[in-house]
Amino acid sequence: MSEKPTIFQMFLSALAAMFGVQSSQNHTRDFSAGHTWTWMLLGVVVMALFVAFVILLVTWALSMAGA
Amino acid sequence: MTLIGRGLALLGLILSPSAYAEWQVNLMPGVTEISRAVYDLHMTIFWICVAIGVVVFGIMLYSIINHRKSRGAKAHNFHENTLVEIIWTIVPFFILIGMAVPATATLIKMYDKGEAELDIQVTGFQWKWRYHYLGEDIDFFSSLSTPREQIANESEKGEHYLLEVDNPLVIPVGKKVRLLLTSNDVIHSWWVPGLAVKKDAIPGFINEAWTVVTEPGIYRGQCAELCGKDHGFMPIVVDVRSEEDYKLWLAEMKQAKAQASDAATQDWTLADLMEKGEEVYNRTCAACHQVTGEGIPGAFPALKNNPIMVAEPSAHIDVVLNGKAGTAMQAFRDQLDAVELAAVITYERNAWGNNSGDLVTPAQISKLKQ
Repeated sequence: MSEKPTIFQMFLSALAAMFGVQSSQNHTRDFSAGHTWTWMLLGVVVMALFVAFVILLVTWALSMAGA
Repeated sequence: MTLIGRGLALLGLILSPSAYAEWQVNLMPGVTEISRAVYDLHMTIFWICVAIGVVVFGIMLYSIINHRKSRGAKAHNFHENTLVEIIWTIVPFFILIGMAVPATATLIKMYDKGEAELDIQVTGFQWKWRYHYLGEDIDFFSSLSTPREQIANESEKGEHYLLEVDNPLVIPVGKKVRLLLTSNDVIHSWWVPGLAVKKDAIPGFINEAWTVVTEPGIYRGQCAELCGKDHGFMPIVVDVRSEEDYKLWLAEMKQAKAQASDAATQDWTLADLMEKGEEVYNRTCAACHQVTGEGIPGAFPALKNNPIMVAEPSAHIDVVLNGKAGTAMQAFRDQLDAVELAAVITYERNAWGNNSGDLVTPAQISKLKQ
């Protein structure tokens, strides 16, 4: 249970946090191993990716509207 | 009649179709492409909400009735179900996206303000509207025309009670009309439901709205931003005419303006000015100073027995033309023409026993207005 999550699992957990739903099993795993600062850094990276995604989406939508 | 009898009679009244003939609670589809788009959007969202309500309350009622304790139902005691949580997060997300797509499409249509064929500046005043047809040299005020007797319950109320004006906004059918909205004093809001236009008129700002009306007719609206004492007494009437009729109206307005200019140079008798002045006073001044000239103590001063009315006229003329800083008294220099100003000042100086005997002429006012 105290197995350390992989980077990919941590990334998925950060996405799940943004979505607002996480399974109890993953939640327990994430809180039982690893460092706080890793999660904080990951949170910033995922949020930056989200902002970049929104910018791309809006740019695309505006280019479609302009066309 | 018993209580039950009264209740049944009231229910019958509420349920009778004639009770609904006079009023409606829904939005009106209106007479523009935008108003119909807004109506369709409203109905789409409404039916989505109805469907959600039916599903949610249906499941709730079903659960309450079929799994009630008296039937021996035993509640499940569990914690966490990731699948259900994901479903109840994703379903509203898609519902919101489904609502946002038509809403955004309608908003984009509403914000398309380019290529107008007619620009009209709309200025809100306490408590009237001013319409300035840019490039046409036509500029007039539009004030409530419901007689004061109807408002005071001294006569029967008319069909368009508080929704009628002296000078409606006249626009041509099928043409894109751009409205540039601003205000002279406080925030107003120009709202005509049939056109689906509702835009704030804010001092120091110019807001834009536009409309293309597809059916000639009279469309009525009101100020939709609480703007003071007579907020409910500054309606909007839009008179949509065919292109030919609109051109005729333009010509008539220009002719009337020329005639008003001629009238200012004519000789006016005291009787003529008093008659005209009473009409102008009741339309423009009576809301504050009252028909009796007695004002409202503490808010609007009495003109009856007011020393300014019988003293030398220049101070009186100055207040009417330029307003009084720090008070609700507006400047009427631009709101009324020279004849109207001369008439109303003469009226105020001779009505309600003021009897100053002074006659202020349109020519005098014309000089001061220059």
